[in-house]
Amino acid sequence: MRVVWKLLRQHMNLFQLGGFFLANLLGMVIILLSIQFYQDILPVFTSPDSFIKKDFLILTKRVSTVGSLLGSNTTFSPSEIDELKEQAFVKNIGAFRPSDYHVAAAVGMQGTGIQMATEMFFESVPDEYVDVDSKRWTYTEGDIMIPIILPRNYLNLYNFGFAQSRSLPKISEGLLSMVRLEIRLRGNGRDETFEGRIVGFSNRLNTILVPETFMNWANARFASNRRNLPSRLIVEVHNPADERIVKFLKEKGYEIEGDQLDAGKTTWFLKLVVGIVLAIGLVICILSFYILMLSIYLILQKNTEKLENLLLIGYSPSQVAWPYQMLTLFLNGMVLLLALAVVVWVRSLYQEIFAPLFPLSEKKGVFFVASMGIILFLSVSLLNIVAIRHKIKAIWKHKE
Amino acid sequence: MNKITLQQTLPEVFADRNEVCSEVWHQTVEWKKEGIYLVEAQSGTGKSSLCSYIYGYRDDYQGIIGFDGENIRHNTVKQWVGLRRNSLSMMFQDLRLFTELTVWENIWLKNQLTGYQSKKQIEEWLGQLEIADKKKVLVSKISFGQQQRVALLRALCQPFDFIFLDEPVSHLDKGNAKKMAEILVSEVKHQGAGVVVTSIGSRLDLPYTKIFRL
Repeated sequence: MRVVWKLLRQHMNLFQLGGFFLANLLGMVIILLSIQFYQDILPVFTSPDSFIKKDFLILTKRVSTVGSLLGSNTTFSPSEIDELKEQAFVKNIGAFRPSDYHVAAAVGMQGTGIQMATEMFFESVPDEYVDVDSKRWTYTEGDIMIPIILPRNYLNLYNFGFAQSRSLPKISEGLLSMVRLEIRLRGNGRDETFEGRIVGFSNRLNTILVPETFMNWANARFASNRRNLPSRLIVEVHNPADERIVKFLKEKGYEIEGDQLDAGKTTWFLKLVVGIVLAIGLVICILSFYILMLSIYLILQKNTEKLENLLLIGYSPSQVAWPYQMLTLFLNGMVLLLALAVVVWVRSLYQEIFAPLFPLSEKKGVFFVASMGIILFLSVSLLNIVAIRHKIKAIWKHKE
Repeated sequence: MNKITLQQTLPEVFADRNEVCSEVWHQTVEWKKEGIYLVEAQSGTGKSSLCSYIYGYRDDYQGIIGFDGENIRHNTVKQWVGLRRNSLSMMFQDLRLFTELTVWENIWLKNQLTGYQSKKQIEEWLGQLEIADKKKVLVSKISFGQQQRVALLRALCQPFDFIFLDEPVSHLDKGNAKKMAEILVSEVKHQGAGVVVTSIGSRLDLPYTKIFRL
């Protein structure tokens, strides 16, 4: 095939092929890098609160001075919940169920002689909104042990406020998870003691959560008069940046708790930006693909007579197409390797910048991006190969 | 392949002519293996068209061309590739050599495909045709007569049942034409093949079985 190659190499323009190479490299790098960046950076926005599913809002009614004095209701009635359910932006709604009994928690720290006790409350949300390992987030009737999720604020309040001012030891999350809380429940003429175990901390939920099964059971057991209406709702939405949400809430006078909307918005914008960048990368890739096709078509066109003669002296169309197909495979392969190298290099650069700010997960690596690159490489090469075959067939048929 | 038959074959461009006076067109013609045929023609009578129909790179004709009785009109690409490597050899009127390659590379391009002739044999022929010294010279740098000799040698670098030579000696002197005829005859005998030569004037000197006027 050496002589064939020598013959078909004629009219190959390094400038054109170089142009294709650079354009394709650019497109490939943009695509792969944006995927990699998205993968690396997304956990920063979503992971801090792994106990609660993303894209949800917590709704409350506004508590106003006048309203309080007039005794207006801050609970959500079934008709209000139904109305909310009908909104297009709502995916699902869950209600917070408050405890209708007295809760007192005490924790003793051995060695310090300090015993802290406090009155508190419990709330629950449907289990599907809580992303804790389901084994740890269960309660069966009669169990002494109650799993609890605390707001991370509480711990911070203790560590950086209370402990600091009293020169008390600071408590880490891990340590606190090992502490047994003594929980006393009173109501309906009963008074019982349980053990609480902290299974997680939440940034987003400003309440003390227990499993819904426990709440149902405890409410039935300790509540003297049942109060069924929830005062807080957890709402899963399709897109937290939807402007209809803000409009609707304003109209109804509802409020959103915490910064979920902002975090959700950030994630949504991140997705949007990455999507735009991906699209640009794809467009560049498609353009470069066209440049390659045009270059090869041009070479084929200029070499038409030679190709025709080769076919006439007995070379088969696939033999004649082979050198061109190998050339494109080689070029595409080089582009893939170089693009991956660039992605790895740039990733190490931005990881250096981000590492002190957020803990980036090292686990994922570039495996996914590499496989995406290979898929792109294979599909582009396949298209090239088919197009070359097609052109050679046309030369065969044009037989004059 | 043992015979080529033409039944009522006519180039489409001649279809609207009132009268075709030819011993090939619109006739039944049969060429057999081991026969040596000459097709004499004036220019414009469709001599090269005939070659291209039989070699499968044009099909703008009426009638039937058959190889061993099989109509060739609907042969597949694969079948044609096989025929061009193993059964049919063609020395084109316009030679179709590669001017960017040397004499040797042009011949070798064909021989590496079929692996039919030995290097020694080709070198011997180059010597006989007095172009051995041009072996490493680009084809674009040699005369048309020399190119015709290269094209003949390339056509011999494959097994064939029939060899077609389209005006093979148009630019050759008598002496070189004679040497070419000798090489051709010995190779054709060796292969037991048939020969079809076309000519518009100077004819290759061969023991023709039959002469057709196109």
